[in-house]
Amino acid sequence: MEHFLAYIDPGSGSLIIQALIASVVAIPFFFRQQIARLVRVVRRGGSEDGGVTPPTDRAS
Amino acid sequence: MPGPSDHSAPARDPGSFRDPSGFVFRRDGVLLRQINRSFASDWDDVVASGPLTELQQRGLLVQHLDAGIDAAADPATAHAVIQPERIDFVSYPYEWSFRMLRDAALATLEAQVVAAERGFTLRDATAFNVQFRRGRPILIDTLSFERAETGAPWIAYRQFCEHFLAPLALMANRDVRLGLMLREHIDGIPLDLAARLLPGRTRWNLGLGTHIHVHARAQARFADRGTDAAAASKKASVSPLRQRALIDSLQRTIGKLDWTPAGTEWADYAENTSYGEDATAVKDDVVRRLLDNAGGSVVWDIGANTGRYSRIAAGLGRRVVAWDIDPAATERHYRAIRTEGNERILPLVLDLGNPSPGLGWAGEERRSLADRSDADVILALALVHHLAIGRNVPLERIADYFARLAPGLVIEFVPKEDSMTRKLLATREDVFPDYTPDGFRAAFGRVYEILEEEPVSGTARVLYRMSRRG
Repeated sequence: MEHFLAYIDPGSGSLIIQALIASVVAIPFFFRQQIARLVRVVRRGGSEDGGVTPPTDRAS
Repeated sequence: MPGPSDHSAPARDPGSFRDPSGFVFRRDGVLLRQINRSFASDWDDVVASGPLTELQQRGLLVQHLDAGIDAAADPATAHAVIQPERIDFVSYPYEWSFRMLRDAALATLEAQVVAAERGFTLRDATAFNVQFRRGRPILIDTLSFERAETGAPWIAYRQFCEHFLAPLALMANRDVRLGLMLREHIDGIPLDLAARLLPGRTRWNLGLGTHIHVHARAQARFADRGTDAAAASKKASVSPLRQRALIDSLQRTIGKLDWTPAGTEWADYAENTSYGEDATAVKDDVVRRLLDNAGGSVVWDIGANTGRYSRIAAGLGRRVVAWDIDPAATERHYRAIRTEGNERILPLVLDLGNPSPGLGWAGEERRSLADRSDADVILALALVHHLAIGRNVPLERIADYFARLAPGLVIEFVPKEDSMTRKLLATREDVFPDYTPDGFRAAFGRVYEILEEEPVSGTARVLYRMSRRG
């Protein structure tokens, strides 16, 4: 992947390790998302209106 | 729009040269940003696709107007010119308290989340791209956003960790004074250094363990592999879900970092131990009257502590920059103005004995304190004894520097018989024969006209209002 517009040095090690770290933290992130989704469904009495779940929990 | 010939010559900002896609300059005192032709299609894309408007509506990005191509500083390379909303006072990360840096970090991450949801990305994450406007952090570099390539890693990840995460982790887990390392490392704190300075237990914290410790090791490991590592890094791919998880992890890690000054609430903090309650009320009134008489629109409260007198100045309609040497005082002050919603006061950390210098390339990228002064009036209460006796600075030099910073001065003289001055002299030789009311008036009278002199009843202290000569 080329990054022509990056005028800062993203750092080779930083890019490589970012891919790895992102994969690791994606696991708890995914489960938290699912739990948050489930909670929403339960609170709405089983009907998930809209159908589309935002990809983020904005709680933080 | 007037033609180029109607303008005065543009003055390029000496700190705006790193990004080839554009630069900041001033013309007729107005701050403008030129977008270069090399960035034309990206700029048109980001303007047309709406992420800037969204970020501005959320208060994450500074507003701007289209200034017209005629305003360009360099018409040969210009694609567009914008006029960003004015930021009253430009402060630097090494002048912020812990929560200020943390709020700036969270605003940066939020901007990346908003941009990513619309298919864009924040391509740099330097702390210098954040300023405080009406008490809140806001991104000032409109050119920082570009279309994200699907699967591309976050280009600014390293910079974010070095500019925000590392100093915050050090301040929260080691010592809050380490925030001043940002003054030496204006490109961010190297992660290997942060990893060495952090307590060993931080390795077992998922966020700090990965984003700082593992990250630092990866940098060291790939640093000497040159083009091989570069080739491998170009293949690095991060799906949108994973990138969102990465930002979420940074948000959580930073949200958990905290530092609270000893003594829980700012209100518990003794403002001035040498004054009784009556004398304090009297002093409030005298300060209010002297500030009112001094006029002007901007007050620099130097030695502001947690802001008792900054609030009095703000109450008179002044905009206040409130400096204090103590990061705990500035932290309390910042929390208080955020709670109160006071938009007129900007609390900052400063050691006046060693004020922020010009830094970066040619010593001009980050401006010195005196260079940035926009004050009409300096308010210096319970300060002069710390400088004259605590730091051995002659009264004449104190007068000269204050006169450089602002034309007006409201100052308190704290004589030797005052309990606070006695405390400073208790452990040392009194080598200050000129530190007397007469010596004070003589030293300041050289550069200032003394307009009012008000003893504070119940104390030996005297308040003065002065105006710079000439």
